[in-house]
Amino acid sequence: MSISDYLLATLSVYGVPMLFVALVIGCVGVPLPSSLLLLAAGSFVEQGELNLWLVLGLSAVGSVLGDNVGYAIGRWGGPRLTDRLTKLVGGETKIKETEEWLRRRGSSGIFLSRWLLTPLGPIVNLIAGATKYRWRRFFLFDLIGEALWVVLYVLLGKIFSDRVQALYDLLGNLTWAMFSLVFAVAFGVLLFKHLRSL
Amino acid sequence: MTKLGWRRWLILVAFLLAASFAALFAVRTVRHALYWTHHRDEAIRPWMSVGYVARSYHVPPPVLYRAIDLDAVTRDRRPLREIALQQNRPVEAVITDLQRAIADFRAHPEQFPPPQPKEPKVP
Repeated sequence: MSISDYLLATLSVYGVPMLFVALVIGCVGVPLPSSLLLLAAGSFVEQGELNLWLVLGLSAVGSVLGDNVGYAIGRWGGPRLTDRLTKLVGGETKIKETEEWLRRRGSSGIFLSRWLLTPLGPIVNLIAGATKYRWRRFFLFDLIGEALWVVLYVLLGKIFSDRVQALYDLLGNLTWAMFSLVFAVAFGVLLFKHLRSL
Repeated sequence: MTKLGWRRWLILVAFLLAASFAALFAVRTVRHALYWTHHRDEAIRPWMSVGYVARSYHVPPPVLYRAIDLDAVTRDRRPLREIALQQNRPVEAVITDLQRAIADFRAHPEQFPPPQPKEPKVP
């Protein structure tokens, strides 16, 4: 049985508390199929097994909490973690550039990585913390983005309550297509700049 | 190679990789969207409850409850994995019974009368 099957089976037995814990852990960065859990929770709501408002409320709180744990790890995780993140981003100067980029466009990056480019979420949290991005601003855009993600996926699961697995496959592929496209465009622009300087 | 420099080659490779992944997932998205519009049946998985399978396959839940020897009147929200554990048999056997019941129902829906509600207790 796959991890998804195991988590979904646990969700139908333990309900909303299990969903809350899984979302906190998933948003910190442990790779869990959080979107599938939200879709399934929507389907269980439609079948009368879970309460809609409880699902929406605790899911939003859980995911925001997980993101803030990620932010805190990035901010106060110690010099070793900061070093690793610095290397990951590309050195001291790159950290400064990322800091600058976050200051200018960070809000949209935080917002989009909550619900559209979800695989980027945990790393954005860490980088926002490590670059000391203003917490209040982080929290605001995190809250808006996560609320949108939770409402979108739970309602989709509720509307298409008989096709959760198929819907997850469709949305999962769409998310990875968008994620790859963002990188393809970024590398394309970089390549174009390099070729022009030849 | 030397004219472009290793850094540019690296960016080119990264670009080609990202573009290939984007194309691959775009094709998979379209394929799933086509699958979606035809709404073929989802595979029955161990996490699903009998109620979910009934909803997904548009079969009355009592038909499926009866097929795996469960009370057809009360709703059972346990996943198939739990039911199989309790019945001491592999989950695949439970899934096979459900698939057979779905096929039977679709072939002859008139042969599956709705379950009778429990008689109220006479004081």
